[in-house]
Amino acid sequence: MMQKKVCMLGGFAVGKTSLVRRFVSNVFSDHYHTTIGVTVEKKSVTVDDRDIMLVLWDLYGEDEFQRVRDSYLRGSSGYILVMDGTRKATLDTALALQQTALRTVGTVPFISIINKADVRSEWEIDERTIEQLRAQGWTVLFGSAKLGQGVEELFVALATQLVHAAPIP
Amino acid sequence: MSTDPHRPHRDSPSSEGYTSVDEDWTQLRTLLLSPEQTQLDELRDRLDNREVQPRDVSRVLPEAFAVRGERDPQLSTVLTPYVENGFVATIRKSPRAIVDAIAPIMGPAIRQAIARALQGMTQSFNHSLDESLSVRGLRWRLEAWRTGRPFAEVVLLHTLRYRVEQVFLIHRETGLLLHHVAAEGAVVQDQQVLSGMLTAIQSYVRDSFGASPDQTLDHFRVGEWTVWIEQGSHAYLAGVVRGTPPETLREDFQAALDDIHAQQPDALTHFNGDAAPFKTTRTSLENCLHAHYEPPPRPSALKLWILGGAMILLLSWWGVMAYQTHARWSNLLVELGTEPGMVVTVAKSTLTGYHLEGLRDPLAKDPSAMVVEAGLEPSSIKAVWSPYYSLDPQLVETRAHSMLHAPTTVKLSVEGDTLVATGSASIEWARETRRLATLVPGISLYRDEALVTTSIPDLLERVNRTVVRFRSGSSIVEPSERATLGAVSIALRELDQAVSQSGQRVRLEVLGSTDDTGPVTRNIQLGKERARAVLVALGGEQLGEATAVIAGLGQSTNQRGSTGEARDRRIVTLRATLTIANRGNEAARP
Repeated sequence: MMQKKVCMLGGFAVGKTSLVRRFVSNVFSDHYHTTIGVTVEKKSVTVDDRDIMLVLWDLYGEDEFQRVRDSYLRGSSGYILVMDGTRKATLDTALALQQTALRTVGTVPFISIINKADVRSEWEIDERTIEQLRAQGWTVLFGSAKLGQGVEELFVALATQLVHAAPIP
Repeated sequence: MSTDPHRPHRDSPSSEGYTSVDEDWTQLRTLLLSPEQTQLDELRDRLDNREVQPRDVSRVLPEAFAVRGERDPQLSTVLTPYVENGFVATIRKSPRAIVDAIAPIMGPAIRQAIARALQGMTQSFNHSLDESLSVRGLRWRLEAWRTGRPFAEVVLLHTLRYRVEQVFLIHRETGLLLHHVAAEGAVVQDQQVLSGMLTAIQSYVRDSFGASPDQTLDHFRVGEWTVWIEQGSHAYLAGVVRGTPPETLREDFQAALDDIHAQQPDALTHFNGDAAPFKTTRTSLENCLHAHYEPPPRPSALKLWILGGAMILLLSWWGVMAYQTHARWSNLLVELGTEPGMVVTVAKSTLTGYHLEGLRDPLAKDPSAMVVEAGLEPSSIKAVWSPYYSLDPQLVETRAHSMLHAPTTVKLSVEGDTLVATGSASIEWARETRRLATLVPGISLYRDEALVTTSIPDLLERVNRTVVRFRSGSSIVEPSERATLGAVSIALRELDQAVSQSGQRVRLEVLGSTDDTGPVTRNIQLGKERARAVLVALGGEQLGEATAVIAGLGQSTNQRGSTGEARDRRIVTLRATLTIANRGNEAARP
């Protein structure tokens, strides 16, 4: 089975882990997040009748105290940027993380997802901003950790991009 | 413009209009351009017929495959389903051909796999067998029972010096798993996730200490496990080792890693997530699954002899002790069987000793004393005795004595179911015994025709008329007087036993006197001495409940039996009276 390393990036407490926890195979405790800054999980998806295993490096949310380690990003075939719709600051963090990823792993497929789609009325990230991101070539999806929405689509979309970026033999 | 020489020219006039010039021109053209014309016709056919001809394709197919295969993997992707379907169809159609084709490969592979499995099983079995009878083997068996693990596994863990349980081949840049092998019985977690975490931990440690990229984490230890990491240019090898591995193992790891890098240079350089090419590294990785066990210590021959000798001695001692104890037990049972008043109903040996049950007359011998006499430990015998009356003549006689309070002057004997009383006793006792004798268990009849009976007044009279005479100045009882005193002594005992049943007690006064020769004080003293001598001769200490008082009367002329002559005044007289029993016993006082 084809394997791909994928990093999950996002600001502090945007719901990265909550978003994917029930969709992934998990062995290690969340404790590793706060100790070494990463927990590795895996998720299988099917694209064009082929199974792809996404080895997810769930990186600890970046904040003023802890920065994402570049070394964790190396070797990634793609990455996922997670934002919290109710906190505009997480968009700025996502933009900065995207630049970091670009510097470290170059132009590789990535998908962004804005969490808390279940409370759209409270969002600080407006439609205009989202349109601007899409205009820059970003794929922006909406998800809800609370309802478990948008996650499966997120993985399939990223896996599809990964397959097309590097055809599977 | 058409180049077909056989077709009419479109611009040419009708056949009627042909001129000789035209014919010549045509002929000339045919002669000059015929070969080229043929080629042009062929080209025209190809252009008109756009479909690719198999013959044409067959000429370029191998080269085309090679060129496209080098450029990208699309060709493999397209062909794979058809190859798979074809392969499946072939197997279904003629499996024999496939079997013949792969047999030369599969045979050795299967043999190797079976040999490896048997080797592991034999090793495990040998260790279990070696340790099954030793002391530590028993300890490990206890541990296996406590922890619920198989005994063979516990033995392996204790005799293990080291064992490489898992080997991971991991792509260095991505942290993705290329291949993984594990020893039999090793606990294997999710290998892909573990590979990622191993890579993350290395990055973390390197970043945390500011190490350069070529400085790497070589190993780390968790409990009894050590993870050894060997770095290659594109991949690294992580071995999970239980126990303490030798440093030479690292060389084996490095050799395997070098071998893999040499075998798969392209697959490592252009790794894109497909780990399929690395299946061929299995043999190299399995060669790293070393295990080394501690050989079980062989006890020396001397130790074995000493141990064997000690065991034999111990067994002999135990055998002798067991035989002796059993013999004593048998003797005890014989003794109990012949002892009057005891019936053994259950006698058996138990794990902790012996168990006895039976019937016992309260007058029978104490069984505990018999156990001690037999040489057995009383605590080793648990006995339960139920009381009963035995009809054994000896016990019936004892019981009759006890229940009838027979005086010592009476002899009771049992003849069948008849109690016979002989000797002498008071009339009162004889009367009471006639009434009670047949109530004694085991007695139906009572006979006392040989019993001499006397009344209390007669006995008092017999005692009180006694006079014991002494030589002058002597307090020694004369032999001639002793016969008299013997009869008095018997009378006193009878009297004592007769009155004791009526709640009374005998008070005996022993009065000694002298003649008038010598000083008065001396005579008083002499009187006392004579009284004491008589009391001793009567067996003063054996008078039972009777109270004896002695007195020295000196030159008394008031003594009973005194006639006034000197010899009649050197006498001791007795005066027995009856008192109430609860006045207490008075000691003989001078």
